[in-house]
Amino acid sequence: MDQPTQTSDRTDTPEAAAPRPAGPAIEIRDFDFYYGSFKALHDITMTIPSGKVTAFIGPSGCGKSTLLRCLNRMNDLVPEARIGKGSMEIHGTDIYGANIDPIELRKKVGMVFQKSNPFPKSIYENVIYGLRIQGRAKRSHLDEVVERSLRQAALWDEVKDRLHTSGVSLSGGQQQRLCIARAIAVEPEILLMDEPCSALDPIATSKVEELIFELKKQYTIVIVTHNMQQAGRCSDLTGFFYLGRLIELDQTTRIFTNPSQKQTEDYITGRFG
Amino acid sequence: MHAPHNPFGYKRTGKRSVEGITFWMIRLGTYLILAAATFIFLQIGIKGSQTVFRAEFPFINTEFLLESPSTLYVFEWEGQKMEMGDDAFRKFKAAKGVDSIPAATYAHSAGGIFPCIVGTVLLVIGSMTIALILGVCSAIYLNEYAREGWGIRLIRLAIMNLAGVPSIVFGLFGYGLFVVFFGWNVSLLAGWFTLAFMVLPVVITASEEALKAVPQGLREASLALGATRWQTIRTNVLPYALPGILTSSILSIARVAGETAPIMFTAAYMIGDRLPWQVDKLTDFFFQPVMALPYHIYVVSSKIPQNEYTERVQYGTAFVFLAVVMLIALASILLRMRLRRNLQW
Amino acid sequence: MSHPFEEQLGHIRETLLLMSSLTDRNLTLAVRALVERDDRLADLVEAEDADIDQLEIDIDEKVITYMSTHGPIARDSRLMLAASKISTNLERIADQATTIARRARALNTEPQLVPLADIPAMATMAQRMLHDAITAFVEGRFELARDIIPRDKEVDDLNRRVARELTELMMQNPLNVTRAVNLLTVAKAIERAADHAQNIAEEVYYLYQGKDIRHETGLQG
Repeated sequence: MDQPTQTSDRTDTPEAAAPRPAGPAIEIRDFDFYYGSFKALHDITMTIPSGKVTAFIGPSGCGKSTLLRCLNRMNDLVPEARIGKGSMEIHGTDIYGANIDPIELRKKVGMVFQKSNPFPKSIYENVIYGLRIQGRAKRSHLDEVVERSLRQAALWDEVKDRLHTSGVSLSGGQQQRLCIARAIAVEPEILLMDEPCSALDPIATSKVEELIFELKKQYTIVIVTHNMQQAGRCSDLTGFFYLGRLIELDQTTRIFTNPSQKQTEDYITGRFG
Repeated sequence: MHAPHNPFGYKRTGKRSVEGITFWMIRLGTYLILAAATFIFLQIGIKGSQTVFRAEFPFINTEFLLESPSTLYVFEWEGQKMEMGDDAFRKFKAAKGVDSIPAATYAHSAGGIFPCIVGTVLLVIGSMTIALILGVCSAIYLNEYAREGWGIRLIRLAIMNLAGVPSIVFGLFGYGLFVVFFGWNVSLLAGWFTLAFMVLPVVITASEEALKAVPQGLREASLALGATRWQTIRTNVLPYALPGILTSSILSIARVAGETAPIMFTAAYMIGDRLPWQVDKLTDFFFQPVMALPYHIYVVSSKIPQNEYTERVQYGTAFVFLAVVMLIALASILLRMRLRRNLQW
Repeated sequence: MSHPFEEQLGHIRETLLLMSSLTDRNLTLAVRALVERDDRLADLVEAEDADIDQLEIDIDEKVITYMSTHGPIARDSRLMLAASKISTNLERIADQATTIARRARALNTEPQLVPLADIPAMATMAQRMLHDAITAFVEGRFELARDIIPRDKEVDDLNRRVARELTELMMQNPLNVTRAVNLLTVAKAIERAADHAQNIAEEVYYLYQGKDIRHETGLQG
């Protein structure tokens, strides 16, 4: 499974990484999305700023996960999924335009899933998997990359003595942090998190949330969550979705103290349904 | 004093009795199957072991296992009944200084079945390799790449139908296509492909099931890291599906080793004088016919007159045949166990 | 490892502490303005009051924001309630300090009426009550907080005595009335400040013990 090694030098320290492009990370305009004949997203228009945490909240089936998966074109895997109108620009490039390779996109936009899915390989292999398949696994740097990623994911101390045991043998919270380490090992610019804590106990949840706090210094993070308090604790911006529409997008503190839409307030106070 | 009323005690109801009866009928059915299997194996085991095993060292009838079949000569010499194979008879005649001795001859009843064993093993290995390669590739295509539509449904229908085709028809198909049209003649290659096509439906279906059993989450995680589809399959799906694929191949091995009809006109011949590796050119290896265990049983049981000598050979061959199949299956199981240990998920 | 939300709780506590310090200082300055007959101190008190008002708004905003985004429970939720109420009481004390400062300025235009024997004593008691309440808040000493509560009665008693003395002075000579009334206002302001300090003590006790001891007759001396 050896990939040809990169000829250019890999720089591993965050400071030496490419400076984050200026401007908003993601611009979505009038975006429609269909699953077959079902219109899942209507006229979504929003700006997701870079270097901040944006949360998507809303009841089940409101389209927040769909929108998240559109951001790294994971919906391409669903047979009947297609975009309707509109554009989705990441750093100025429409990712649904012509000449866009989803593979290249996903190298820059990473994803952590709701149900943690570590590969049944060793912890070490899990973390470097992304680098291997992208052909960036320079042998001399691999150990450093593994340590850096696991440290950033607040998992290093717990697993440093057993890097070669299977990733599947970890606890739920550790597995999720391993998945996060795996995602950040390839140094994406944007990190998408689809309800990352929904399967975790409160202590593991709190660890992951602290992680998000640290990670936002380096990445733009978009997180979908069912848990209101999590959105309140972690995010800078919150977007409330309902029935495929974006009802309100504003600073988290404003949405939680005095939202401008009644629907938003009804949802967050628990008066829905 | 009365015992306290037991609210959880057994109650005799009609439903319980029906359940009891049904359960016993199911049990009976299972025991019947067990009995039938035991009977078959016991008969072959007892009668076959008479041929295969010997009372003295080395306890195995090596002659039976390591020599080619030859004609049995049964005659009387100085009041004693003697049995000898071809070579031995000639030597005996020469030693006694006579040209001919009146003897009853029994074809195929002396010597051994070594070429048949070799032939069967070669056929199994070759056809399973082809079947696995073709089958796994098809399964990967159907499960991972193909988009649902009437085209795919047609393909699946074709595969299902293929599973129901009688083995003799496969033999005719193999004969028509490989032996005649491709001009391979009755050969190992023709036999390989015919047998491979015969078990292909099972291999494809089982491989698809094994691929489906790999959780979707692994594929998604891999793709989300920027992997191509093939990279994902190669590193994160196929390795974990392999144990399941190998398990299904075990059943196919038994079928491939045991079917007579497909190899009757495509690969097998009654008797030959050379072993498969005694060829002049490398390519000749693939284009030669071979002897095979099931075909040998057929030949010995129906193509030549029956007597107690042929019965010995029949049961001996059947015993060896079962042993060979079990050995190959055992090897497959061991391989699967080792893979499963390394790729635990 | 401290959690990010603890930082936010820390900010609330720090802001509250800042407000307490400013209020404490303003009260002290106001009484000094009266006793030392210093107008500049009175001006200072009035200027600082705006900052204290703003802090009350800041604290309430922080509290409502934290409550909405974090949904605190147990001691964190008690902190929210206590912080809001303490800030209100501090703001009132600051207002009383401003009143004292203004009356002091008015009194400084005329010669001193009487040696203000009891008013400084009252002021000291009230200041000490506030100071102790703040200490109890910072150090988590709820018994100290509880002990503050009966001291309000002493301030009330002193206030009554001052009122009687000043009434007599007014009856003796009509020219005394302006100054006496001003002094009555000052005494009242100090008495109110002591009440608010007692409230703060009650909130501090609630914060650390989870028990609401307001209006409990047994404690109030």
